[in-house]
Amino acid sequence: MARLDIQRLSKVFPPPQKGADPVTAIGEITLEVEGNVFVSIVGPSGCGKSTLLNILSGVETPTSGTVSVTEGGRPARLGYVFQDARLLPWRTVIDNMLYVRDDDGAPASDTASRYLEMVGLEHTHQMFPGQLSGGMQQRVGIARAFSVDPDLLLMDEPFSHLDAITARSLRDHLQQLWTATRKTVLFVTHDVVEAVQLSDRIIVLAPGGRIFDDIAIDLDHPRRSSDPKVATLQAEILGRFEEMYPSNVSGMTPGDVST
Amino acid sequence: MTAAPLALGKGPGTPGRVRRILTSSQGAQATAIVVFIGAWQLLTLVATRVPGPVEVTQFLYTEITGGSHGGIITGQFAEHFAVTLRHFSIGLFIGFTAGLLAGVLVGSFVIARALLNDTVLVLLAMPAFVWAFLTTMWFGIDWRAPVLTVAFTAFPFVAVNVAQGVRSITPELKNMSSAFGVSRWKQFKHLTVAAVTGYIFAGLRFAIIVGWNGILLSEWFSGQSGVGFRTRYWFDANRYRGFVGWVIVFIVFIVVLDRMILNRLQARAFRWRDPVEVKAELSNPDFDQVGA
Amino acid sequence: MTKSVSEVVARGQDNLDQAQRIAAGSRRRRYMAVVVGWVGFLGLWWALSAWLGSEARLPSPPRVFQEILIILEGDFWNQFWASIVRVGAGFVAAVLIGTPLGFAMGRSRYWGNFLQAPVVVAGSIPGLTYAVMAFVVFGISFWGPVLAVGLISMPYVAINVAEGVRGVDRGLIDMSTSYGRTERQVFRHVVVPSVLPFIFAGVRLSFSLAWKVGTLTEVFGSSKGIGFQVRRNFQLFNMPAVIAWVLLFIVFMLLLERLVLVRMERRLFRWRQWERDQ
Repeated sequence: MARLDIQRLSKVFPPPQKGADPVTAIGEITLEVEGNVFVSIVGPSGCGKSTLLNILSGVETPTSGTVSVTEGGRPARLGYVFQDARLLPWRTVIDNMLYVRDDDGAPASDTASRYLEMVGLEHTHQMFPGQLSGGMQQRVGIARAFSVDPDLLLMDEPFSHLDAITARSLRDHLQQLWTATRKTVLFVTHDVVEAVQLSDRIIVLAPGGRIFDDIAIDLDHPRRSSDPKVATLQAEILGRFEEMYPSNVSGMTPGDVST
Repeated sequence: MTAAPLALGKGPGTPGRVRRILTSSQGAQATAIVVFIGAWQLLTLVATRVPGPVEVTQFLYTEITGGSHGGIITGQFAEHFAVTLRHFSIGLFIGFTAGLLAGVLVGSFVIARALLNDTVLVLLAMPAFVWAFLTTMWFGIDWRAPVLTVAFTAFPFVAVNVAQGVRSITPELKNMSSAFGVSRWKQFKHLTVAAVTGYIFAGLRFAIIVGWNGILLSEWFSGQSGVGFRTRYWFDANRYRGFVGWVIVFIVFIVVLDRMILNRLQARAFRWRDPVEVKAELSNPDFDQVGA
Repeated sequence: MTKSVSEVVARGQDNLDQAQRIAAGSRRRRYMAVVVGWVGFLGLWWALSAWLGSEARLPSPPRVFQEILIILEGDFWNQFWASIVRVGAGFVAAVLIGTPLGFAMGRSRYWGNFLQAPVVVAGSIPGLTYAVMAFVVFGISFWGPVLAVGLISMPYVAINVAEGVRGVDRGLIDMSTSYGRTERQVFRHVVVPSVLPFIFAGVRLSFSLAWKVGTLTEVFGSSKGIGFQVRRNFQLFNMPAVIAWVLLFIVFMLLLERLVLVRMERRLFRWRQWERDQ
């Protein structure tokens, strides 16, 4: 059960080329998360979602503000699931599971096997990532993240590169794993519908990296999109979202574009 | 998603500017040259037989201007270089033409490839000094030895590259041209010639590098004149500054020719094939759209 | 005009059979062409040697074959082994020196620029220079060919390693960092496996070149090895022996490359097969 404490965080990148402006990835974010909750961060591209995760995982440093990720006083252990599975292509699946662990021997591989089984990949131990499909690789990535028993699990649009059917199946696997382990999860996505299905709380970011909205979702886990309560909530929140980001589909008539 | 590169300090005053010049790409190369010459000089202090940069430069000056080495031997530069260049060009011409022909045949006809492939492979694997030996055994100390050494050494490299070039014109491209009704002349000019030119050039470049190596060997082992011969002359006379001087001459020649001239020409010819790649795309495996 | 399902399937099977027959036919034609190629080559050689008349000009295939047998039954394996050991040691040296150089070149833009020119020049130097240099430094010795092979292969290894280092997947490094892997672990599990194929590529690319230079160095300064044998027979004007040794050299070099190198590469890098298929 982790505690995430972000105070007035900002991140500015130096200009990409001479004469350009510095890039403000995160304007200002103040956020507190505590407990076994599934929190989604939603927003369009360029709103700083990935930068936020990079700062939390230590890959980037903040320009100003403080970030504290703790578990009972000590620094929290992190798990991370990426958009692309990021498995070492030259190691077998089981070796990939073991790579991120600090222990070794029989207990380690038993744990790894258990999590592989939970995502339905118990028969792939000795295979190489190149032999697996994208969806299977991502399942290994998820199993890997859960298997280190993290205090905080960071997930960066993990299903955005998969086709809809595979993504749906993986969301089910994820919900199964989560209801069994109840980790603190920070889940970044651009898909509002997905966020409503999975999370207890949705943080909406605006372009420029500021919090626009903070929505609590109070439904039981696991959730199916076919459940009317879920579907209603999805439509309602999607509507609010579209108010914030109106799309510009104007009516066009034949003859508008000349050949 | 690496952080943007740090800009070097742009503060006022000399240290910033000097540091930037030193660490620039040209600065690094210049430093490398200076370090090399310095290391060479240091080496002469340890190994006394090795001639230093100053002595070698003096030697080259005397040799090139036709002055007199130690009052006994006259410097000869232009005549040897001219002889080598002459033989080199003739041999290159023969090897290149034959290689072009073989390459076109092998690239165009599967049967030709099956027939000739193994022979070309063996010829590629043949060390240049063997050709030097063989041609000497056949023709003695004669102009034909160096010329044919170059020809034999260069031939397989040209053939292999031209064949690759011809094969790169896929039937799909030809079909596309026909489908759009492109005239046969335009097809030839824009499709065939354009595709093959780059490969022909690559083959020529390889031919020049290995051919140069070949003629030096041939002249070393059995020449009466030429760069290779003159290099050996000084070596046999135990005048190492002469030997090193000529080594520098032939190295500088091929490095300038290949790395400064031919390099640029080839980059132009192959602009379509080797553009500056967008690195980001390579490390982001997108669109893994296979279902589980 | 509707066909029954069985008709369509039968037609499909016919087409498939026909296609396979055509493919097999053209495969046969290609094998035939290779055989004809070899026969033609030998025939041409034989005819040429007969026309030239003397053994000193061009010995006939049977004569060379006879010489090959003599060599094989005699000293060949001894000499060949001597050459292999020298060239192999040279490759080891090239990898030992080229790899750290390549790392420096790949990781730091400054060292990349600094070392670029010397490495490139080293790769353009005619083999004769290395052979003579090695001879001058070591005289008639085991180490001469080792030095020459090392010097000529080192640039290929260095440049390839630099490429490999530059191309290490940053995503995998970030993943490792986010899971708290130490720098040593990242180096061992991510960087080294990424760069290993490039080291191999450097060795493979310079393979035939290294052999040629190594043998040339043996011509100058060795008392053993294939190069020495070629020179000895050249001085004795023994043309059949020269050709016989050269042919043996080429055949074994090609065999080494095909059988040993390619197999080793395939085993070491099993995991790449599937990457490529994807």
